[in-house]
Amino acid sequence: MSTNRVAVVESRIDEYLRSAAPAARRLAPEERLRDGRGPTAREAVELFEDQVLSRTLDVAARDLKRDGRSFYTISSAGHEQNGVVGTLLRTTDPCFLHYRSGAFMMSRLRKQGGSTPAFDTLLSLCASKEDPVSGGRHKVWGSDELWVPPQTSTIASHLPKALGTAFAFPRAKRIGFDTGLPRDAIVCCSFGDASANHATALAGINSARYSFRKGNPTPVLFVCEDNRIGISVETPRTWIRDHFAHLEHLRYVEAEGDLVDVWEATARAVRACRDARTPVFLHLHTVRLWGHAGSDVETTYHTLAEIEAIEAQDPILANAKLLVESGAATPDELAALVADTRERVAAAALEAAERPKLASREEIVAPLAPYREDACRAVARTSRASAEKRAEIFGDKLPEERTSPTQRTLAAHVNAALHDVLAAHPHAIAFGEDVGKKGGVYGVTKGLQATFGPSRVFDTLLDETSILGVAQGAAHLGLLPIPEIQYLAYLHNAIDQIRGEACSLAFFSKGSYTNPMVVRIAGLAYQKGFGGHFHNDNSIGALREIPGLAIAVPSRGDDAVKLLRGAVAMAEADGRVVVFLEPIALYHERDLFEDGDGLWLADHPPVGEVLLPGEVGVHHGEARDLLIVSYANGLRLSLRAAKRLREQHGVAARVVDVRWLAPLPHEALLAHARECGAVLVVDECRATGAGIADAVVAALAESGYGGRLGSVRAADTYVPLGPATDHVLVTEDQIVDAARRVAR
Amino acid sequence: MTRLAIVCPGRGSYVEAAMGTLPAEHPWVREAEELRAELGLTSLLGLDRAERFRAAEHLRPANVSPLIYLISMLDAAEAAERGRTVAVAGNSMGWYTALAVGGALSFRDGLRLVQEMSLLQEQLAGGGQLLYPLVDEEWRIDGERVARVESALASSGGRAQHSIHLGSHAVLAGDDAGIRHLLDALPPVDQGRVRYPLRLVQHGPYHTRFVESVSARARERLADLEFARPRTTLIDGKGRRHTPWSADVRVLRDYTFGAQVTEPYDLASSLRVLLREYAPDRIVLPGPGNTLGGVVGSAVVRERWRGVDGKSAFVRMQAGDSPLVDSMRR
Repeated sequence: MSTNRVAVVESRIDEYLRSAAPAARRLAPEERLRDGRGPTAREAVELFEDQVLSRTLDVAARDLKRDGRSFYTISSAGHEQNGVVGTLLRTTDPCFLHYRSGAFMMSRLRKQGGSTPAFDTLLSLCASKEDPVSGGRHKVWGSDELWVPPQTSTIASHLPKALGTAFAFPRAKRIGFDTGLPRDAIVCCSFGDASANHATALAGINSARYSFRKGNPTPVLFVCEDNRIGISVETPRTWIRDHFAHLEHLRYVEAEGDLVDVWEATARAVRACRDARTPVFLHLHTVRLWGHAGSDVETTYHTLAEIEAIEAQDPILANAKLLVESGAATPDELAALVADTRERVAAAALEAAERPKLASREEIVAPLAPYREDACRAVARTSRASAEKRAEIFGDKLPEERTSPTQRTLAAHVNAALHDVLAAHPHAIAFGEDVGKKGGVYGVTKGLQATFGPSRVFDTLLDETSILGVAQGAAHLGLLPIPEIQYLAYLHNAIDQIRGEACSLAFFSKGSYTNPMVVRIAGLAYQKGFGGHFHNDNSIGALREIPGLAIAVPSRGDDAVKLLRGAVAMAEADGRVVVFLEPIALYHERDLFEDGDGLWLADHPPVGEVLLPGEVGVHHGEARDLLIVSYANGLRLSLRAAKRLREQHGVAARVVDVRWLAPLPHEALLAHARECGAVLVVDECRATGAGIADAVVAALAESGYGGRLGSVRAADTYVPLGPATDHVLVTEDQIVDAARRVAR
Repeated sequence: MTRLAIVCPGRGSYVEAAMGTLPAEHPWVREAEELRAELGLTSLLGLDRAERFRAAEHLRPANVSPLIYLISMLDAAEAAERGRTVAVAGNSMGWYTALAVGGALSFRDGLRLVQEMSLLQEQLAGGGQLLYPLVDEEWRIDGERVARVESALASSGGRAQHSIHLGSHAVLAGDDAGIRHLLDALPPVDQGRVRYPLRLVQHGPYHTRFVESVSARARERLADLEFARPRTTLIDGKGRRHTPWSADVRVLRDYTFGAQVTEPYDLASSLRVLLREYAPDRIVLPGPGNTLGGVVGSAVVRERWRGVDGKSAFVRMQAGDSPLVDSMRR
């Protein structure tokens, strides 16, 4: 057999166009292809141009790869009927597309005058920094102007945000926020048959159905491009239909057959979604030509006969035949079209391959985590509710005037701060499990829904993946989402929504797209009388390694207010994704040293005061025997330990609260360390990579700080139930012992 | 075979040096003379063979437009012999020529379009166009000049607007008050022996809402113009591609009488599409003069095409073995 299946498929098209006879009757340009159905002759040829361009770019990708000039060969070959979807959607329908969307994008970009789809794609294949979508960071389909936020899409992790966009769109309208999209816009999301099995895909589809069932308009068009294989593993013949054709609250439309059938089915699906505002599942049958990617040797799992049977279903060939036989075009015309496309792509490829690549680390990471301190401070200063509005919300006593202990705890302060944020930012929304009616399992969101209404503050279904999907979708539309993850342990089944999606968006879109949000997560250990690992998870390692993510963690109520304002300011000013980690055990803590001392209560900071990365909290700044570095529960324990060290051991310990777990305030810590000459890091998270101890110790060691160093950390174990926790978590006694050793 | 792109010039391109070049026996020249006679207009051959160049006569819109059209058409036909034409674009009035070069209009219909539009434009009272450079001596965008133009337009109270985005220069248009405002608001710039802002003689406020009446009347008077699918891809003044296989003749007609007349003409976008999507071996500039030479050159610089990053590099490339731009009458 020929090993170059690309050439075989290409020559089959050429051979057909060389030998075919034109139809006896020519269709008029505006005549439909068959019995008044399908595209007009002109539309069909236009679509064919897009499909051939997509195919030609796929071939170019492989040619360029052979010479080491391109770096991506996962192609759209065989999937070109998705150009029908690209044609029938509007450029104001947001689209989240998977990687075989070449023809879809060619059809969509055609709608924009001045677009240069061929050259843009070639730049992207060659990883040139001039690639307008990702700036050479990934081969992704996207368009800033045409509402296609780029997706990596390899594991269908983009479905939740598509659902989120469809869910948030009518909600934005309800709260009077102008998204710039027309009222009847719909959201489209495409994926393959294999990735339809991903938990994330199923979560997105499930949540769309749930949302619709709950009475929310949810206009999302799921397009499953079924090529019946995932790399080498076949999808059972009717699996997609079996699974999705009979689900309540999900319209299923099957697009199978020739172009006319696919066109009609797609039009029906788009219409249903647009008119009925319902989730629709478009099952688009495709084939996959030339293996999964250029490096995939298909003969290891397919026989030649199987490969040829797939190639015989080539949609380009099928469409060429249909166009010729229906009289929409002559074989000569299509041959000229194909030749012209190949020629111009080949010529443009020579130029694109020479375009500059990303050449430095600074250039590559530039869009990842923009931070403009001045802009953040300006947002914090200017985004405030009017005095009247605050009086209306808070009643006779503003938070900063409150003296009652129950109103001066960390939980009460976060609650008041959230009220202020929602009042100052009319496009902010807060949501999560039990966030609305109940006001949160710890009362942190109490009263928010009553004050701001269920359109802005609402309960979600119990699925963290979808909560974060809604956050991304809402952010795409311009809202400021403040989702809540009820417990840190629950984040982990959904963390890819932050890691692979939300935080990667600015990177893969070279900053064109952002999804600013503040993700509130209740977490960390030390809850008295309420235990077990899943409510006391003490690992933030999975968050800290996410590029571009900022993480704030308060220990005291007043800090919590200022950090939350800082987080919101970073989201607003620089489009950042910020995690606001709330230590559950400190929510209602009042005392520091003794019962009833009330030293853990705080006054509400004046509006406008804010804490941003790098701004550490310093306790006992005059002390110089030892520096204790900590955060959250560890900070409170450290302050207690410092008192004992001073009174019982004559050691004067300075205690610094890092406040931001990412980015870590290395500069400030180094300055304090140099003044003290001995450093103890108190990290309440698990010992191995779960907290900040490794990073702080390593940074100090590498910075030239020559003093003594030590750390105390929790055990590398899950947190047990009840009093047994004392054996695995960091204790005050451990801190005192370690401090004495380090301070010597 | 060499892949050619053709870019047809606009109305400001006619120069004295173009005189005496019309081949009297060419069928197109004869056809043009017939039409001129029918309309009671001066003979084009007469203008071509005149003893001397007289701006008032040679540059009168109804005379200069068909002269440019005719010379461009003759040149384009000659150029087509040198390779295979893969795309055709034009600047402003050059769009009408492009329609005919690309085969979307017959020679005669293209001429009628050019002639009729120029007559309608002559009837316009007041307003005009002026030119202001946006690039420096090396053809690189000068942000300050761009900002000056935007600010002058913003303070015009809607009396002045963008007319043509050449990329290298802004062509601005306005009613009389608008033009006066621009002449006051734009600081003078001396570049290439020209002082800007440069008022374009006998030019109306084309490609703006000020000429909506032209659009309506042209539609009416040229209702019988027969648009066809082009033989070669056309790139219009919005950077849209109209291919031989899928062009919509209704769109072509509607654009030609509508947005092309009343909305800014984006030649910069058109040239960008031409370079990036067609990557021609040669860009041919037919017609009299060489007004588009620098415009196309600066488009090449803007795209850093073939690594050309400034005027000097462009000049070097042009002097080398494979020049990109071929100005036929340079």
